[in-house]
Amino acid sequence: MYAYDTYDHAMVNARVAEFRDQVERRVKGELTEDEFKPLRLMNGLYLQLHAYMLRVAIPYGTLSANQMRTLAHIARKYDKGYSHFTTRQNVQFNWPKLSETPDILQELADVEMHAIQTSGNCIRNVTTDQFAGATADEVADPRPYAELIRQWSTFHPEFSFLPRKFKIAITGAKQDRAAVKWHDIGLVVKENAAGDIGFEVLAGGGMGRTPLIAKPMRDFLPVEDLLSYLEAMLRVYNEQGRRDNKYKARIKILVDAMGIEEYTRQVEAEWEKIRHIPIDVPAAEVARIKSFFAPPPLAVLADEVPDVDDLAQKNFIFKSWLANNTGSHKVPGYVNVTISLKPHGGIPGDASDEQMDLVADLADSYSQSEIRVSHEQNLILPHVARRDLPALWSKLDAAGLGSPNAGLLTDIIACPGLDYCALANTRSIPIAQSITERFDDLKRLMDIGPLKIKISGCINSCGHHHAGHIGILGVDRKGTENYQLLLGGSGAEDASKAEILGPGLDEHGIVDAIEKVVAVYLGEREDGEEFLSAYRRLGADIFKEAVYGTH
Amino acid sequence: MALINLTSIQPTGYTVLDDGAVPGEGENVAIGVDRLLHEGDAFFATAGSVGVIIDTETPFAKLTQIVEKIGFAIVDFPAFADGRGFSLAVRLRKDFGFKGEIRATGPVIPDQALFLLRAGFDTVETTDARKPAFEAALERFPAFYQTDFGGQLSVAHARHTQGGQITEEQRLSRKAPERQREAS
Repeated sequence: MYAYDTYDHAMVNARVAEFRDQVERRVKGELTEDEFKPLRLMNGLYLQLHAYMLRVAIPYGTLSANQMRTLAHIARKYDKGYSHFTTRQNVQFNWPKLSETPDILQELADVEMHAIQTSGNCIRNVTTDQFAGATADEVADPRPYAELIRQWSTFHPEFSFLPRKFKIAITGAKQDRAAVKWHDIGLVVKENAAGDIGFEVLAGGGMGRTPLIAKPMRDFLPVEDLLSYLEAMLRVYNEQGRRDNKYKARIKILVDAMGIEEYTRQVEAEWEKIRHIPIDVPAAEVARIKSFFAPPPLAVLADEVPDVDDLAQKNFIFKSWLANNTGSHKVPGYVNVTISLKPHGGIPGDASDEQMDLVADLADSYSQSEIRVSHEQNLILPHVARRDLPALWSKLDAAGLGSPNAGLLTDIIACPGLDYCALANTRSIPIAQSITERFDDLKRLMDIGPLKIKISGCINSCGHHHAGHIGILGVDRKGTENYQLLLGGSGAEDASKAEILGPGLDEHGIVDAIEKVVAVYLGEREDGEEFLSAYRRLGADIFKEAVYGTH
Repeated sequence: MALINLTSIQPTGYTVLDDGAVPGEGENVAIGVDRLLHEGDAFFATAGSVGVIIDTETPFAKLTQIVEKIGFAIVDFPAFADGRGFSLAVRLRKDFGFKGEIRATGPVIPDQALFLLRAGFDTVETTDARKPAFEAALERFPAFYQTDFGGQLSVAHARHTQGGQITEEQRLSRKAPERQREAS
């Protein structure tokens, strides 16, 4: 993974010193809260319902074992012994003291981490495929390009006070696990006929109260033009994006209003003017960054491991875990392991300090000291030898980290909701807990198969409900919590927007409704047909009848 | 009011001209974009250096006909978070090759000092109380990831500068150039 040089270190250390000074000036009253707010936000510090919340960047979701240990240490020393992994592959601490946040940032800087631009109206953490560099189905590892974008977008002199936040996602695989079409800018790594690497460029996706799927701008942008093209995209947005209404300020609204053709025309005209000035970096710099992401030296091993098969024969839970939580690797004999942070009845995405320490130790033993965070709020150990799976699983299972439900109905994305968030209308976590308790039967879950439930406690959509096969949106109805049910969304390469099925339901009714929706699916599915395909074939009416019908 | 000089330029003293008022002989004046576009030769013959006050609603294309008429430019921020001001300065430097003074006015904050310098601003008008914080902010960062309009090369390029004019040590110990600061 990427390692800081003296420049990178100097910059994060300067940033910590700067924030320490800003906190002192705020405490002394030299900065008003209005002035301090964007500064603290650009260091990831939010004011939530009960306390400050610090959001720490995990660039493109890649962590070392030592970095994970530092996160565990921070959870122990400065927080209440846990942290929360988010849908932007970041991690949040819910209870830091304002006066201690500079110390936390310094502890992070010491292990090459930061909270820079994890909030505020600037370019946020670039997200990518959690299996990047390790999956069998990718054109190229997207992380070197994500790092290139991280550096270019950090403290950008022109794009640090945008109309609104700005999110970029990049995938290198055909199967889109990074939801690139739901981003302000989506990039898909491609290889052209000559064997050169480039990007398909999409713009104008986003969730919130106006969900829109990104539209294609360019089929192939060469690597050497990446940053100048992004610069042109951001400049047109910075100049023309709306600033009169924060709900209309994202690039999706601009692109929708001017049309993708006109936006593309303006961007390309600007790009032609700037592509020859030193925005794009020398080829040697791309090569330098790439060298940090060289595949680990893995000796090819046998895919067939009798011990693994024996245990799977005897133990249905291990068999399920093997089927759901391990995925194919580039190198024979290896897999990528998803550690589910979705125990039934638990809080999606939360991990305790002991669990984080354990994952760090397991990464040292089994996954080249590397850990990933997925936007689905799980942890990943890449590059695990298949023969190590029984030992790894038993250690995870003993720590409450062995849930075999990755990709199943109970692998729910949920925002923090009204339990933490100042913006929320409703709670999200208790709904996720009720659903996982209702669907606690593993055999039934395995029978239902891949099904993504995503829950947001307000229209801001942090829980990605628009992209859920089943989405749940919490709304406030005359002072009571009410939940809308949406069906048919997708965050994958076949991105689609979930549609509201009917009137909202209360917190019990929404769980009953999911049961009914699943029953329709099980009754109507064709051989091997997954939920989303069945929904698309059947249409909404039959589900509507089941949930709201009077007979 | 204090004037922060980001680039050691010789700052222009000027009067903001009221609507309808005319400049005195050789007087440095600043007027809005629309008025500037309508003033004839007599105006420019009388005035000394003429500056344009650009509000952030101004589309950059409108500056095309302006740059050749002005000696200095003032970008007026209605709010510090209105990032269009940064793009306006970049456009003046990059698209129109403007070499004169670019000044920031309005409620910009000290923590934006380096952003302003790097986007192409020379000077900032601020309150006296904020002067020390502005000066401290200018010294804060030793390097940046972007090549900028303050003349600094990006780290990405500096890393690969052959026999470079700037060594890594020099860059990291780099102090901002001695800056003149004066009250206005």
